[in-house]
Amino acid sequence: MPMVLLECDKAIPEREKHIYLKVEGEDSRDYLPISNAATIPGTLSERGCAFCGAKLVIGGVLKDTIQMIHGPIGCAYDTWHTKRYPTDNGHFNMKYVWSTDMKESHIVFGGEKRLKQSINEAFDEMPDVKRMFVYTTCPTALIGDDIKDVAKQVMQERPDVDIFTCECPGFSGVSQSKGHHVLNIGWINEKVGTLEPEITSEYTMNFIGDFNIQGDTQLLQTYWDKLGIQVIAHFTGNGAYDDLRCMHRAQLNVVNCARSSGYIANELKKQYGIPRLDIDSWGFSYMAEGIRKICSFFGIEDRGEALIAEETAKWKPQLDWYKERLEGKKMAIWTGGPRLWHWTKSVEDDLGIQVVAMSSKFGHQEDFEKVIARGQNGTYYIDDGNELEFFEIIDLVKPDVIFTGPRVGELVKKLHIPYVNGHGYHNGPYMGFEGFVNLARDTYNAVHNPLLKLAALDIRGEEAIKLLEAAE
Amino acid sequence: MREQQVKQLFDLVQQRYLWQFFSRSRDRIENINGIIAAANDMFRGVEPKRHLPMEKLFYADALEMVKDFKEAFPWIDTLEPTKIPELLEALKAELVDHTITKSLNHELNHSLY
Repeated sequence: MPMVLLECDKAIPEREKHIYLKVEGEDSRDYLPISNAATIPGTLSERGCAFCGAKLVIGGVLKDTIQMIHGPIGCAYDTWHTKRYPTDNGHFNMKYVWSTDMKESHIVFGGEKRLKQSINEAFDEMPDVKRMFVYTTCPTALIGDDIKDVAKQVMQERPDVDIFTCECPGFSGVSQSKGHHVLNIGWINEKVGTLEPEITSEYTMNFIGDFNIQGDTQLLQTYWDKLGIQVIAHFTGNGAYDDLRCMHRAQLNVVNCARSSGYIANELKKQYGIPRLDIDSWGFSYMAEGIRKICSFFGIEDRGEALIAEETAKWKPQLDWYKERLEGKKMAIWTGGPRLWHWTKSVEDDLGIQVVAMSSKFGHQEDFEKVIARGQNGTYYIDDGNELEFFEIIDLVKPDVIFTGPRVGELVKKLHIPYVNGHGYHNGPYMGFEGFVNLARDTYNAVHNPLLKLAALDIRGEEAIKLLEAAE
Repeated sequence: MREQQVKQLFDLVQQRYLWQFFSRSRDRIENINGIIAAANDMFRGVEPKRHLPMEKLFYADALEMVKDFKEAFPWIDTLEPTKIPELLEALKAELVDHTITKSLNHELNHSLY
């Protein structure tokens, strides 16, 4: 009985189709959790909205672009500053947030004038910035504000600016995944091919689906520089608006996050004939494999081997130090989707860690095919998990550390189980060789942190007494 | 024996490579066919074509797969050369069966991305 109905789900038996326990002799032809489906009434989803997927995950990463959010102020605040994606120009994207701050009267009488005023005001206040994304949100989509027309008017009046519109209100999909999709397809159809890049190398590629979380992109860029490969566009870590308009000129698309950004790689292949190479950028073995494949594509294998040898000599001893101390530890991964399949084998192979439960907020069945192929028997694979399910799974698999976001992280801290921020990282970057040592260090520090055990004791009396949490 | 050998290769491919799990059936079959064909050339000592962009891609993926096969399964170098194409053909059939024909992924055959 590999699909699992947890005790806490007895009242919502539909959840059984979303939770899989892998056993020997089965594969994804037999069982594949339902995913990218509407959240079942009665379960408190941890998902974000479609707008969040477009703005927080992809658009908001850009380093030179105003992100105008046409909606109430909360839509802006709640998709700003909760991810740590720095830039090499002083973190412009993380310093500012823009909103049309829609109020009741604007909803009643229409918000297009207010949007135009806000766009002009933002460009006037920041005269050096000439690029903008404009997003609809739930209320402005419902009242039918035509943001494309407003953007067109502004571009006619201000010929030096360029504006991309993303019509992806929160309700337009079942999770943030819809926002990834809308932004990808909108960008390829409206902006790619509208500018020509300066080519500086005979080897060119786009790096797609890496968002410079705590410097991931900048770390990997040191590799591409050493290899002599020009990255025409980063989609979208430390990325620039105009670079992304030039994606059609790359010889190769290298994809890390296939969930958020696979669409644009597929379209670049379909429309421009650029091959798509999927790699894993987390983990020593995976990173080396990715570098080898990229270099083989360009016929520069020797450069790749030299880089791998240099990085391995520098970082492998540190990785091994942590591996000795993490071998046999049990990890749960509760993140968005792709990190489940990126990480499960890399922590197993490189650090000796066993991944015992994985939950995806917005993964599709493609993601579950990958993670079930890579993950272990006896491991739980969960789509759109909720808090009660997490509590029950924790009792079943007893993880030593949980990689998840801050909200769920605070929850598990109450149970005195350490968590590492699987979205924004604790102390990244985590990609590449150096990055995976950082991940190992943060895992080690979490697992061996004595404070969590001390926090579970009440020492006021003569004898220390184990504290009970409200939930116990 | 042959069944076991195919299973060993298949298990390694399933655990390791992302190209078999692209979004749509048409991309999966293109990758599987292209990479297995390039691997076949490599085992036979024939230089795979590397002129077109997709040929370069298949070469890069196949090169890693062949290297991994040789490292993980030393028996592969002891096979008669005529057996390798049969083995890879059987591997291809398994991959197609798992990732396309009997896949439960409902998005595989959508016409759009």
